[in-house]
Amino acid sequence: MPPRLQGQLATNPLLPYISSSSTTTSSSLSNLPTQYSSQLISCSSRRTNRSFSSAPSSQTKHRNEMFAWLNTGGSRLKDHKPGRTNYLWPKTEAGLESMNRDLKSSHPFPLNKDYISQPILSEELRNEIHTRVVFKKQSIRSVSVDLGVDMRRVGAVVRLVTMEKRMKQQGKSLALPYARAVHEMVPTTPLYYDVSEHRQHPHESINDLPVHRLTDPQIFYPVSESRQFNRVDAGRVFSAAPALERREAAENATNPAEVISRITQNPSRIERVGKGENEQEVLQPADARIPHPHLIQYERLAQSRSTEPKKNREAYKQAIMQEETAEKERKRLAKERQEQQLTKVQPDSSRFEFRFKDVVVSKETTGPDGRGHKAPGRRYGVPSYERKKGQVKIPTQVQV
Amino acid sequence: MRNRATTPLSKPKVRQSWSKYNLFNLQRMRNPPTATRTFFQQKWTAKSMARAYHGEQVRESQWARMFSRRIRSVVPMQAANLAADDGSNMSAGRGSGLDSDINLSAPLTPFTQMTFAPLERRLDVAIFRSMFASSARQARQFVVHGAVTVNGKKMRYPGYLLNPGDLFQVEPDRVMYATGAPKDKKERREGRVARKQAAEQPEPEAAKEEGAAEEGAEKEAESEEQSKEEEKINPRETLKKLLEQAKTIMDDSKDVLAAKRKQELRGFQKAVKRVLSRGDSSTVLKDNLESQFSDLITALKAKRQEKKGSKKVKRSRSSEEDSAAATTSDAQPGEALTEAFRQAAENPDDVDTSELSNEEFDVLKRALVQMRDNPIDNTKPYATPWRPRDYMGAFAHIPRYLEVNHSICAAVYLRHPVARPGYSEVPTPFSQAVGTAAFAWYLRRR
Amino acid sequence: MVVRIRLARFGNKHQPFYNIVVAQARTARNSKPLEVIGTYNPVPQRPTNLSEEEARSARPYKDVALDRSRAKYWLGVGAQPSDSVWRLLSLAGLSESKEKAPK
Repeated sequence: MPPRLQGQLATNPLLPYISSSSTTTSSSLSNLPTQYSSQLISCSSRRTNRSFSSAPSSQTKHRNEMFAWLNTGGSRLKDHKPGRTNYLWPKTEAGLESMNRDLKSSHPFPLNKDYISQPILSEELRNEIHTRVVFKKQSIRSVSVDLGVDMRRVGAVVRLVTMEKRMKQQGKSLALPYARAVHEMVPTTPLYYDVSEHRQHPHESINDLPVHRLTDPQIFYPVSESRQFNRVDAGRVFSAAPALERREAAENATNPAEVISRITQNPSRIERVGKGENEQEVLQPADARIPHPHLIQYERLAQSRSTEPKKNREAYKQAIMQEETAEKERKRLAKERQEQQLTKVQPDSSRFEFRFKDVVVSKETTGPDGRGHKAPGRRYGVPSYERKKGQVKIPTQVQV
Repeated sequence: MRNRATTPLSKPKVRQSWSKYNLFNLQRMRNPPTATRTFFQQKWTAKSMARAYHGEQVRESQWARMFSRRIRSVVPMQAANLAADDGSNMSAGRGSGLDSDINLSAPLTPFTQMTFAPLERRLDVAIFRSMFASSARQARQFVVHGAVTVNGKKMRYPGYLLNPGDLFQVEPDRVMYATGAPKDKKERREGRVARKQAAEQPEPEAAKEEGAAEEGAEKEAESEEQSKEEEKINPRETLKKLLEQAKTIMDDSKDVLAAKRKQELRGFQKAVKRVLSRGDSSTVLKDNLESQFSDLITALKAKRQEKKGSKKVKRSRSSEEDSAAATTSDAQPGEALTEAFRQAAENPDDVDTSELSNEEFDVLKRALVQMRDNPIDNTKPYATPWRPRDYMGAFAHIPRYLEVNHSICAAVYLRHPVARPGYSEVPTPFSQAVGTAAFAWYLRRR
Repeated sequence: MVVRIRLARFGNKHQPFYNIVVAQARTARNSKPLEVIGTYNPVPQRPTNLSEEEARSARPYKDVALDRSRAKYWLGVGAQPSDSVWRLLSLAGLSESKEKAPK
């Protein structure tokens, strides 16, 4: 079948099947490079072979355009270039391809300037993290600071690499060529020969402060000129807590590090404000809410006595140790408390274990109307929405 | 579920897919016009464009329930800045008209580009984002077909919302199929034939096996003898041949046809096998392939060290080492090749120096590694040896909220995606104009 | 009328979950009881975070939450546990097991 006519001519219902391949080529190809025309010619020659077929031709205008582009502008995208990204290039307003190298190499979507293809951990860096945590028994916190990798990522890497080793041991097939290809396509953070280099070029920012819900509204809060209004005060204003007493504020100002460690080591003792359902914790300053608060104390020491880096480092190490022991102690206590509440019974007559948890049924827990959520049991008088629209029926979590 | 996620060329929609159609659509996509259109029209267009990409497999009402106007964001803090100032400097003197010298040059946070962040929690989308599937639809199929585990348990719901810390894993074979180049006609036929043979064999196999094994053993023995004789004649000839073949394989010219390349690969495989089978334990060749491979590699390594040693220190010492190595590896299956290397190393006068240069050993080693990791296997559903599918590189990026280990095809969902100054973590092909309009649509103030 | 300690079924289809309740014997199963003194989840849970050896010997467990003092009180004033609650209470050490109990 002869090719369809394109452009304006095709809008006429009578015209599409007029057999004039020469007009098609001349009309649509005048401004296209030679590769395209040669392809089209081959297409048309192929089409002559099926001149008796009544099926519509598969080569529409758009398909032609697409293959033309794939053969010219898009041809460089077909194969990846090892060690380099190979994305679509953003276009300038004139429609030409932008020459900005940064945009070219790191933006996978040409229109979206806000998404960057960020590097992933290289194989070596991953193994380094694993050996440090598993074999050298370094804490996740210190590995994170040393290598500039988020703590959660360190944990995940340890899990994944352990799993990989186990699978290798069991002789399961791995997707090695695929992994190699992906690492060639995506930017990676290398393992620097000099490990201290990682502090200068961290993989990601490790001290991210999550933006808290309470800080959303803008609050007009007049303060006297003479008053030192700091981050602790701002947090109290945001959570509508009364301002600190002068004496207490002055005490805090003398030893900021201790204040922060008090918060981070006893998160359950943070002051609460509000009543009943509205009770909430007072918003703590950023110093306490970032993942690595001890780094601030280190910087403070470094700024106050920059001549003694050795002492600073020692103090820093000690601070980390303290933090870790406190954390371990806290975890241990929490576990103990949980176990105390639990009685395990393993009857001979059953293959199951029964875990009895102590609960309290009283006016305090059930509330005046008997529907308080702290008391045990599904509540009476609260309807079941099981068959209602939008109820989640699939599992919401999978226990490890 | 009917698949409506086509990528038409007229009325193009950009999808979560790696197909070349999608690439073409992505390439020619422009921001929708705003000048002559009402605000409602702008929002409608933006919403429909964005929803064609973000979770088109999710019903609109379901997504409308998932939507949240509260967008997660973080601010990276510098410990040095926090240490220098407790915040009072920022507020000091503001009342008396003092201008603060706060640095306002920090880039803005693109909040509205995070409109579809709740969808990134879905299991199927996360699988697509970690590059385990070539489209979100395919990822969905993997989940439904039971190829995905979450925290070690099979999870059949593509709509499962991952929690921070969840580890999900896809079967490596499926991933290789999804991301690998497809088989061509000839390969498909080969696969069919192989399958048919495999199906026919089992019954007579039991009876034939012993005989076949004997025959095989005899043949191998014969070939062993022959090859030993050959080897005696010239060990370095075999080495040379191997090297040449390895070179042709590792030669990265794209012009060579796939079929020809495969032929070469096969030839190399055979050659290596021949060399290996000269060892004593040739009867258990199949079981021992792994160990033989490792032996080969160690032999190669030893060879290279020797080379370095011989370059720096005396020849005698290196030959001593040599003989030691030879004695230790006497009983090992890769002996023949070791022998060849050893002989070649002992008489560097006989062998061309070019033949034994480090790069060439590297090439040989890489070829061997590739032969092991990426073998020709007709039974696989993808083209073997595996190579990435076309246009995969243009879509290759991994967002930061996932930590992916590609060799075991597992990933951990670290946290929910967040926006930060100048950067949003949700991969979306649309500009901020579209994102903002879509966000405004779902705020339901229309 | 007799006061009984019995189970009231909540939860979903194929996913039972019981409240342990104190109620008048003649009232409907899920009607508002005198008091809810605990819960019982009959679906066995697999213990997690175990090493491989531990995992082999570990039993699946069933969760029970119970206010012992209230249970004791109600038993003391003559509330009669149903069979299934009797079993749970005997496991908790609040009543003798039914087999051993004198007729």
